[in-house]
Amino acid sequence: MRELNRGRMFEGNRYRLNRPIVGVLMLGALSLAGAATTTDKPSDEVSLYVTVEEDGGLVQGLSDRNFRLYEDGEPRLFQLKQPEQTATVALLVENSQNSWNLFYNDIQYAVQGFLDAAPEGYWYALATYSHGLEVNVDFTKLKGKIRTAFADLAPPTWNEVDTYDAIYDMLDKMERLPGRRVLIVVGSGYDTFSAHTFSDIQKKVEEANVAVFSVGLGSLLRGIYEPYLGDMERTDLLQVEAFLRMLADESGGEAWFPNIESAFPDVMKGIVQTLQNQYMLVYTPNVPHDEKLHKIRVEAFQVVNDHRRDFKVRVRKGWRL
Amino acid sequence: MQHPHHGKNHWGHGNSRLGRKCIRSIWSVLPHRLDGAVAILLCELLVAGPPLLARGPERLIESRQPDLSPLRQDLKKSYLELFSLSPKLHFTDAEIEDARKQLKDAEQQCVDRVKEQEKDYDSQLQLLQDEVKSTKDLPEKQRHDLHCRIQNLRALKAQMRVLQHHAIPIAYHNEEAKLDLIQKWPPELQQIQQQIADGSYRSRRWGDVQDIGFRQIAAGQKDDVKSGEDAIQQMKQAGLMPKELDNPAITSYVSSVAWKVADHSDLRVPLKVTILDSKEVNAFALPGGFLFVQRGLLEAADDESELAGVLAHEMAHVVARHGHKLMRKETIASIFYQGAELAAILLTGGAASIGTYYALRYGFYGLGLALNLKLLGVSREYELEADQLGLQYAWNSGYDPSGFIRFFDKMASREGYVEGISWFYDHPPFYERMVDAEREIDFLPKKDSLTVQTSEFENMKKALTEVTASKEEEDKDRPSLLAPEQGCASPPVSKEEAGRPFDAICSPSANPAGANGPTTVTSGTTEKGGGKQ
Repeated sequence: MRELNRGRMFEGNRYRLNRPIVGVLMLGALSLAGAATTTDKPSDEVSLYVTVEEDGGLVQGLSDRNFRLYEDGEPRLFQLKQPEQTATVALLVENSQNSWNLFYNDIQYAVQGFLDAAPEGYWYALATYSHGLEVNVDFTKLKGKIRTAFADLAPPTWNEVDTYDAIYDMLDKMERLPGRRVLIVVGSGYDTFSAHTFSDIQKKVEEANVAVFSVGLGSLLRGIYEPYLGDMERTDLLQVEAFLRMLADESGGEAWFPNIESAFPDVMKGIVQTLQNQYMLVYTPNVPHDEKLHKIRVEAFQVVNDHRRDFKVRVRKGWRL
Repeated sequence: MQHPHHGKNHWGHGNSRLGRKCIRSIWSVLPHRLDGAVAILLCELLVAGPPLLARGPERLIESRQPDLSPLRQDLKKSYLELFSLSPKLHFTDAEIEDARKQLKDAEQQCVDRVKEQEKDYDSQLQLLQDEVKSTKDLPEKQRHDLHCRIQNLRALKAQMRVLQHHAIPIAYHNEEAKLDLIQKWPPELQQIQQQIADGSYRSRRWGDVQDIGFRQIAAGQKDDVKSGEDAIQQMKQAGLMPKELDNPAITSYVSSVAWKVADHSDLRVPLKVTILDSKEVNAFALPGGFLFVQRGLLEAADDESELAGVLAHEMAHVVARHGHKLMRKETIASIFYQGAELAAILLTGGAASIGTYYALRYGFYGLGLALNLKLLGVSREYELEADQLGLQYAWNSGYDPSGFIRFFDKMASREGYVEGISWFYDHPPFYERMVDAEREIDFLPKKDSLTVQTSEFENMKKALTEVTASKEEEDKDRPSLLAPEQGCASPPVSKEEAGRPFDAICSPSANPAGANGPTTVTSGTTEKGGGKQ
């Protein structure tokens, strides 16, 4: 998986937009452009955000003819529209004593890197968590407010990291917001004292139409200290990575696990680029409200000389209604 | 709740459970934007004893009036009123000291109680959150109701934090400064009159006001232009600079006032005025003559002399090159920032911020950053100098220099807190500052007519009303993590106007919930008479 290919991932990511797929400029898609509203009732019209990749680069310029959408294996009609001009992006940052001791530089690089790359015009919020969630800055278009609040963060007083609870709360808050919603989790993935469980979070992610991008803290553990980790630590690390990856996979986001701290700015830049280059498929789901997960599959392809070339697609796993 | 001192509060009364319940009820109706005066009066109420509280909230104000000493009543007056009134007041030093001690005790007691209330809200929140979690098959309406209750409790909890950390401390500092004024101003005034009589006032620093425009406050203003430009660029890159206000009429008016003041000042660089579209009550100047005025400041000013006073103060920082002088203190700057933000945060307990960085690095000198600079022990001197020069420039431009004090006073008394970096929060109304300002006004030669208000200002305010309304409309679409549940009734709080006395807030007729006492939020609906707590 790309997330595990850490050594070259960042380099590839940095240049992914510099290598656009030439010749895929179907301007017909633009005629369908228009604002769409994400709703919380998937029996109504919903917006499905899709990332299309090839060889680590983002594919641009596709039209509706380049996509197929399936729900539980059944083809669905959709419209390809231009994503909203703005997005509602919340940055959720682990802020416990342990994370300050172990991942301080990771956190600094990640947050500052994100703020440097984040475009104007989006709504941004900052929340931190240790033993409980704190909304440090509610949504604002002034990135500087996030920067200032982050710089003003006092040293954490708790060792606990209630990651599951924090993510659950954030998804709960965000799923009721209008428009395109993105949650960026900057955390280790470790959890010490949450009331919610892994499966609670998985279910919540499947219910909420919020894209989650996970940025795993712990570059020291994955980098310099990796050879010295015992079996137990190694297993723990794999488990937390699995959790963060689950968030991304279920929601159509992406998970990253840098092994050097200086890679974090590139990761954050990559997330911003992804957000700016996603496709939006608008359609009305036709699945029963039975609280089961109904899978979505999106195909993106290009036909050249009667030969179909498929691209890699990143989209939420399904709907749970 | 018992007061730590043998169950007595600082006014000599005990407290009661009934009182506590009543207090909670009152808290629940307070607005989110609780102002400073409310905070003080709330705390007076909190420390009032059972005889008051037991009668029920509708009688609170009426009952409490006789208990306040005349001294405490005088503290409700504005600074300007106290300047003229204090020579006629006759309080002994012992009485003032006693009041000061009581005030300090009351502040602590009040903060403690607010903390306790916050804990109460927290436990209520926990219960509701557990309820939401444990009841999977709750009907949609009931779940929505629970969400609304949680949301409102969170808002109330946040309000308690603001009270603790902003409104109460600020309100009490304000009253302490007024106590100082009552005690120290009369002898100070005698001294001023003596200095005027013997002409010695002319030898004060920058006493040569007849030479404004021809004197040199600090050489080399032009050398600061580059650092000012750099600072602007950096701030824009960092996303710290709000957007400019897109209203040529307002921009043109404010610029004209600023330029008028600049023409009658010691400024030797061209003044560039920018209006920022932000509701913060703030203005700041960057070295080299870059003046930024935020929309909130225009909303807060009531007449042109107030606006001119604030602008003149900012220009004075540029004239005196305070930014440049700060930047020369590179060693201090390096202590604070070279070791990255962590060092700053650890050294100052979180008080230092990126604002401090800009202040040190670029001389970002604004109304909103003085508190951080105070940490370095250099701010007060510069503030006092800017006050003095600013008053002179406003006066020399034909404005009533008292406008600056009025604005200061208003912010101190009305704005319990404002969002983010704020003029008020970072500018505690120190006695010294107020007295120095009043002294300077007394020393300025008298003029036949001084401008307080103009029709242009009133026109600007009208235009601003439309801008503000449209911004508020835009704000309605603003997403929020704090109130994500749509369709909840807001907590039944009255829309308080700044400066509204507490008596009016607590009177039954003023309560939107009606005459049956305070209202407590329970969910999307309201409950009268104290309600569920």
